[in-house]
Amino acid sequence: MRWIKEIGPVAGAIILALAVGAIVTALTGYSVPQVFKYLAIGAFGGRYQLAQTLTQATPILFTSLSFLIAFRAGLFNIGAEGQLYLGAFFAAWAGFTFNLPPVIHPVVCLLFGAIAGAVWGFIPGWLRAKRGANEFVTTMMLSYVAINLTSWLVAPGGPFHGTQWANQTVRVLTSAQFPRFLRGAQLSWGIVVGVLIAFVVWYLLFRTPRGYELRAVGQNPLAAEYGGINVPRNLILALTLAGALAGLGGAAEILGTHRRFIELFSPGYGWDGIAGGLIARAHPLGAILAAVLMGALRAGGQAIDRAGVAPADLAAVIQGLVILFVVAPELIRYFQRLVRREKLGDIES
Amino acid sequence: MEILSLNLFIAALRLATPIALVALGETYSERAGVINVGVEGMALAGALTTAVVAYFTGQPWLALIAAIGVGALLGALHAIWSVYLRADHVVSGAAINLLVLGFALFLTRVIWGWRGTSPSAPTMDAWILVGVGLSLIGLSQVYIFRTPWGLRLRVVGEHPRAADTAGINVYRTRLVYTALNGALCGLAGAFLFNNLGRFTDGMVGGRGFIGIAAMVVGNYRPLPALLAAYLFGFVDALQMRLQDYIPSQFSLMLPYVLTVIVLAGFLGKAQVPKALGKPYIKEQG
Repeated sequence: MRWIKEIGPVAGAIILALAVGAIVTALTGYSVPQVFKYLAIGAFGGRYQLAQTLTQATPILFTSLSFLIAFRAGLFNIGAEGQLYLGAFFAAWAGFTFNLPPVIHPVVCLLFGAIAGAVWGFIPGWLRAKRGANEFVTTMMLSYVAINLTSWLVAPGGPFHGTQWANQTVRVLTSAQFPRFLRGAQLSWGIVVGVLIAFVVWYLLFRTPRGYELRAVGQNPLAAEYGGINVPRNLILALTLAGALAGLGGAAEILGTHRRFIELFSPGYGWDGIAGGLIARAHPLGAILAAVLMGALRAGGQAIDRAGVAPADLAAVIQGLVILFVVAPELIRYFQRLVRREKLGDIES
Repeated sequence: MEILSLNLFIAALRLATPIALVALGETYSERAGVINVGVEGMALAGALTTAVVAYFTGQPWLALIAAIGVGALLGALHAIWSVYLRADHVVSGAAINLLVLGFALFLTRVIWGWRGTSPSAPTMDAWILVGVGLSLIGLSQVYIFRTPWGLRLRVVGEHPRAADTAGINVYRTRLVYTALNGALCGLAGAFLFNNLGRFTDGMVGGRGFIGIAAMVVGNYRPLPALLAAYLFGFVDALQMRLQDYIPSQFSLMLPYVLTVIVLAGFLGKAQVPKALGKPYIKEQG
C-alpha cells in the first residue's frame, strides 16, 4: 500500500489545483461547469480525444524522465527544451539523409536524437562536476543556444532550409516514420517507445548498481563520496542521460507527429517535463501517469478554446497550480492534519 | 570599428539594468539563505502587471508600484513555500516560473485577445529606472556590509541557529528578504516593459537566470554583481549591432554563451552562504 501513500498527496494537490483553477475561471468571467465539461470531453471524451491526449503526453513523458533522472542525482535539468530541439533536428536529419530499411531506420534516427541530446546534457554536466557551474543556470542558457541554433539551420540561408514557405526541413523518408494507430490522429508508436523507455529508466534507477550510485549521489553527495562513489562522474552521467532522454523525446516527436523538423515546433514540452517529473515525485513509472495528466490538460485546453468556452491557456494556469501544490507536500500534510484533528479531537499536541 | 561607439556603452548600461536588479534581489535572498530561481517568472509578472495597469489607468507610476507589489507577493509566496512549507528551493522557484508563464499567456488572451502580447501602453522614461536601480545597488552595498540590519541578514544565511539564539526571527527575515527579491524582480520587469513599450511573453528571455549568474560572479556583493551585469548588458547591446553582420540566431546566442563561459571560468571562488537552500527547523520547546 506504499503507492497510495505516494499518490495521496499528489491527488490532493491536483484537486486543490482544480479548485483554485475553478476560482480563477470564475473570477475571469468564464463558466466553470462549461470549462470543466469541455476540458474533460476534450481530453477523454472519445478515441480521437484520447489519442490527442496521448499524442501530447508522448514528448512530455520523455522530458519528464529527463528531468527526474537528473533530479534523482540531485541536479536540475531546466534545459530539456533545448535538448529536445537538438534531438529532434538530428533525428530528422538522419531521417531524410540515410536510406535504410523500416524498423532499422527509426531506431537509427532515435539514436541520433539521443546522442545530440546527450551532448547537450554532457556539457552542463561536465561544467557542474569539474567547474562548479550551477547546472540550473547553464542548462537553461544552453537551451536558448540550441533553440537559436536549430532555428538557424532551417532558416532562409541556413543549410537545411527545406521548403520555401516555412522554416523547416524536408520530410523524413517513409521508412523512418513511426506508424500511427488511428486514421486522422497523430498518435504514433512514439508513446509505446516512451513507455518502454520509462521502464528502462525505472530498471536503471532501482535495479542496477549504476542507478543506486546515482541516487546515492542525489541523496547525500558527501556520504556517497565517503562510500567510494565517484561523485563527479555520476553528476556528468546523470545530466548526459537527462539530455539523451529529452533528445529521444524530440526524435519521437519528429518521427511520429511532424515527420520533419520545424522551427519552434515545441509549445514548451521541455518545461512541461519539469512539471511532469515533479508531479511524478521523480518516479519513472509515475511519470507515465503525470505525462498523461499534462497531455490531458493540453488536449482539454485546446478543446475549450475550439468550443469558444475559454482560452486554451487556462489549462496552463491549472498546470502551474498543480505543480505549485505538488511541490509543497507540507501543505497537503497540513490539510490532512486539519482533517484528522477534526476527527480525533486535538490529541496530537 | 563603428560598432564600438559611445552609444554602445550607454545602451549597455540600459540593458544591464534588469539583470543588475535581479542580481541585487538574488543577493538579498541568498544572503538570507533562500535560493530563488523564480526570478524569471517574477520579472515576467512585473512586466505584465506594468502593462495591464499602464494600459487601463494610463499612469506609468502607478503601474510601477503595482509591479513592485506583485513581485513582492510572488517573492513572499516563494518564501512561504521554501521556508515555511520546506519545499525544495529550486523546485518551488521553477514552479513559480511555470505558473507565471501560464498566467501571462492566459491573461493576455483574456484582456487583449492576443496570446502572450499586449498592445502598446503609456510608459515612463526607462532612464529614470536605470537611476533608481543604480542608487539601490549603491545603497545596498552599504546596507548589507555596514549596518546592523545587514549583519543580521548575513548571519541568518550563514548560521541560522546562531541568529535564532541571538533573538533574530530566522523565518521572518527570510520571508522579508525573499519578498524584497521579488519586489526588485518586479522593478526589473517594469523596466523591461518601459524599455519596449509593450508586453511579450518572451521579454524576460533568460535575464532572470543571467541575473543569478551575475550575482554568483559578483560573489554575493551588490557592486561587483553590477559590474558583472554590465558585462552581460554590454554583450546584449553588442549582439543587437552584430545582427547586421552575422545571422541573428547567432548574435542572439551570445549573452547565453557568455553566461555559460563566465560561470564555468569562475571556479569555486564564490563564498556561498553556508545555510543556502537548507531548511531551518526551529528547535521545539
